[in-house]
Amino acid sequence: MEVMEQWKDHLEQLKIQLEPWKNQLEQWLHQAIEYLNQIPPIQLYAAVAVLVLTTLLLLSIRLFKRTKSNTIVLTGLSGSGKTVLFYQLRDGSSHHGTVTSMEPNEGTFVLNSESNKKGKIKPVHLVDVPGHSRLQPKLDEFLPQAAGIVFVVDALEFLPNCRLASEYLYDLLTKATVVKKKIPVLICCNKTDKVTAHTKEFIRKQMEKEIEKLRASRSAVSDADISNDFTLGVPGEAFAFTQCRNKVTIAEASGLTGEVAQVEQFIREHVKP
Amino acid sequence: MLEQLLIFTRGGLILWTCKELGNALKGSPIDTLIRSCLLEEHSGAASYNYDAAGASYTLKWTFHNELGLVFVAVYQRILHLLYVDDLLAMVKREFSEIYDPKRTVYNDFDETFRQLRREAEARADEFKKSKQMVKPVNNSKKQGQVQKAGFDKGNKKSEGGLAADEDDGDKVKGRKFENGYSNGNRIEIEEPRMTGVVNGKENTSSNISAFDVSKLQKRTKGGKKTDTDVNKGSKADPKKKVEKKKRVWDDAPTETKLDYTDPVDGNGNENIEVVAADQGESKMDIDEIISSDSEDEEDNNVVNDSQPEAKKKGWFSSMFQSIAGKASLEKADLEPALKALKDRLMTKNVAEEIAEKLCESVAASLEGKKLASFTRISSTVQAAMEEALVRILTPRRSIDILRDVHAAKEQRKPYVVVFVGVNGVGKSTNLAKVAYWLLQHNVSVMMAACDTFRSGAVEQLRTHARRLQIPIFEKGYEKDPAIVAKEAIQEATRNGSDVVLVDTAGRMQDNEPLMRALSKLIYLNNPDLVLFVGEALVGNDAVDQLSKFNQKLVDLSSSPTPRLIDGILLTKFDTIDDKVGAALSMVYISGAPVMFVGCGQSYTDLKKLNVKSIVKTLLK
Repeated sequence: MEVMEQWKDHLEQLKIQLEPWKNQLEQWLHQAIEYLNQIPPIQLYAAVAVLVLTTLLLLSIRLFKRTKSNTIVLTGLSGSGKTVLFYQLRDGSSHHGTVTSMEPNEGTFVLNSESNKKGKIKPVHLVDVPGHSRLQPKLDEFLPQAAGIVFVVDALEFLPNCRLASEYLYDLLTKATVVKKKIPVLICCNKTDKVTAHTKEFIRKQMEKEIEKLRASRSAVSDADISNDFTLGVPGEAFAFTQCRNKVTIAEASGLTGEVAQVEQFIREHVKP
Repeated sequence: MLEQLLIFTRGGLILWTCKELGNALKGSPIDTLIRSCLLEEHSGAASYNYDAAGASYTLKWTFHNELGLVFVAVYQRILHLLYVDDLLAMVKREFSEIYDPKRTVYNDFDETFRQLRREAEARADEFKKSKQMVKPVNNSKKQGQVQKAGFDKGNKKSEGGLAADEDDGDKVKGRKFENGYSNGNRIEIEEPRMTGVVNGKENTSSNISAFDVSKLQKRTKGGKKTDTDVNKGSKADPKKKVEKKKRVWDDAPTETKLDYTDPVDGNGNENIEVVAADQGESKMDIDEIISSDSEDEEDNNVVNDSQPEAKKKGWFSSMFQSIAGKASLEKADLEPALKALKDRLMTKNVAEEIAEKLCESVAASLEGKKLASFTRISSTVQAAMEEALVRILTPRRSIDILRDVHAAKEQRKPYVVVFVGVNGVGKSTNLAKVAYWLLQHNVSVMMAACDTFRSGAVEQLRTHARRLQIPIFEKGYEKDPAIVAKEAIQEATRNGSDVVLVDTAGRMQDNEPLMRALSKLIYLNNPDLVLFVGEALVGNDAVDQLSKFNQKLVDLSSSPTPRLIDGILLTKFDTIDDKVGAALSMVYISGAPVMFVGCGQSYTDLKKLNVKSIVKTLLK
């Protein structure tokens, strides 16, 4: 009981102490309202308008920046040479070689070939997404910001991987983000330094044929969650990459020997220096 | 000799290789390791065996999670190098000091490595010599601390010490290791070793070498890291070992004494008898008993671990930690969160073995990582687990059957699907659903009634065929199903059917004659797709079913490249509410994707697996 009483005393003392503060606050509030009443309403409206405009401006600048992203995504099947290409673009060498990636490689840098140029060059944000099928869901994290996609194909071991690569490309081309934003895609035939590598025309034709077949089977998939958001091409016509809503081009490169000029050109087309 | 030692980033760039070793590796063991072991969430294992034409390597690895580095050592499997674990640990320590994310060339590491290697080799030699001279004292304390890796190596060493006739057994073990049936293995391993102990000195010395390693590792990893590192191979494992070891080291291999070693459970008697009779039979029993034991012990451990910690750190310090971000995560920090996660997975009907392995793998991927500010350990662990689950459930191969059907059509041969599974899981019913689905997509289907065992099976299928208006191939009962299937495929080729759906008799995974018949059917007809039908209601048995189906298909097949299960059809999915763990168990153990999900009684009730929603349900 004693304790309770002590507490009560304590509380009352506190209340007494707080009283002058309360009065002070009320006074200030009154003063503020009076001051507001003195100001003409036009000035008030102007102030509010300025506030709203600045926030809008800031927001729009942010949105504007986002649409003009500088991200280029490197993707393709495992073993097609994405990581080598990544380091070739960044450092101009493939170092000691690479192994299967377990995590994406990311970097924001000025392309190696342009590092000697004078003047201010806008750096490129390059992402190399692993190609192992278990890691392919990672791609979705990067697609929304992508300004361009480089789809790397192994031109040397093309035929055994043709079906898988086409399937992956089909999935990519029918993704909602890619179609809606019309993200340009470059099909990069890697490893063309080897004598037995296929030409890019051959690869284009084969992939178009495969995608044509996929179109028939995929559109038939029943109510599945993996079903693609958009269909490709024009119904009734054989599929060609030109029918895509986004721009699909094809190029040749060789990661090991460092012939990546066409890829660099693609990057610079879509990320302006 | 060490064949190769590589240091690379998780992104895949090789930072440093040993140029001195410089041997060209045959095949691509590193890529295979990453693809089939590390990315499949098996990174909790101790070593990986790689087989290629003319080469068989053993690979060992270690992660530096904070810097995102991977260290891999490759050596010939015939040689049992004792110093590899030690060397990897040293290399990891030294390299992490000079590592800089911006640098890509580390030529100056050559000299350091040379030194480290000499050191490690010398130490290994020294231990071998000193141990051979001084008789070892087999006190129980030492045994208790033997680490998983060390123990594995000890096994190998002892096998190596034995005559060459053990070689075959060795290979089988190697394969099994890859498949991850580690518990089954240990039982097998014991036999050669037991005989070794009886046979003579040579093996005693090899047993000693097992101790060598454990001691050596203890010493090198000494200091502050000791307790975390010794436990690295998961808490449960050393305990399993302790139990086994008592049988092995201390006793003569007579059965009466073996019984004596297992006084804890009443079932022990029965288990060991079965082990002696047939190694395959009681795997599940043993698994369960051991793991439940070890879990109990683990429980105690967790309590012990967390209690002093809780006392030490008050509310304020934990709050401060969450704001500042923790320096690096240690095994002990992760333990409570992982335990909670494991329990949650198990309430969702994930097989215990799988939950355990997953948690180990997640722990391996998080240990040493920096905790970001404003995050709790539990949420970090949960995020890592979510990523792992998505990775596991995402199909590795394409599951677009229609695409495959069209490809087969171009080659003018029917696409053959064989439905296999245990009794009463719904093979025939779901076969009819698949047939219906295929029919909807203008594919001509034929059924083959190869269940010539259960009465009424052919009639059941005939009813479905009549309702769906598709042809059925039947030969009545008491025929060899393999022959019936073969004739059915020939018939389909004649009348131009695109797909043949082969219904087989339900069989328990332990039924040897029936499994042999199934193996024959698959070998003879070489189907395009072997679809395992499993019910979503199954819990721990999912692991047993799938692993044994796969194992039997390997063991009983007469072809050198046996077929395994290609895909899974999960039935009765509408009956389980949120207990979706069977999907995870099955996919993890077999590596095959879930191709269809049966979720009702009518023909239309066939769906595809929604990976995202499954993961969400599992972690809810």
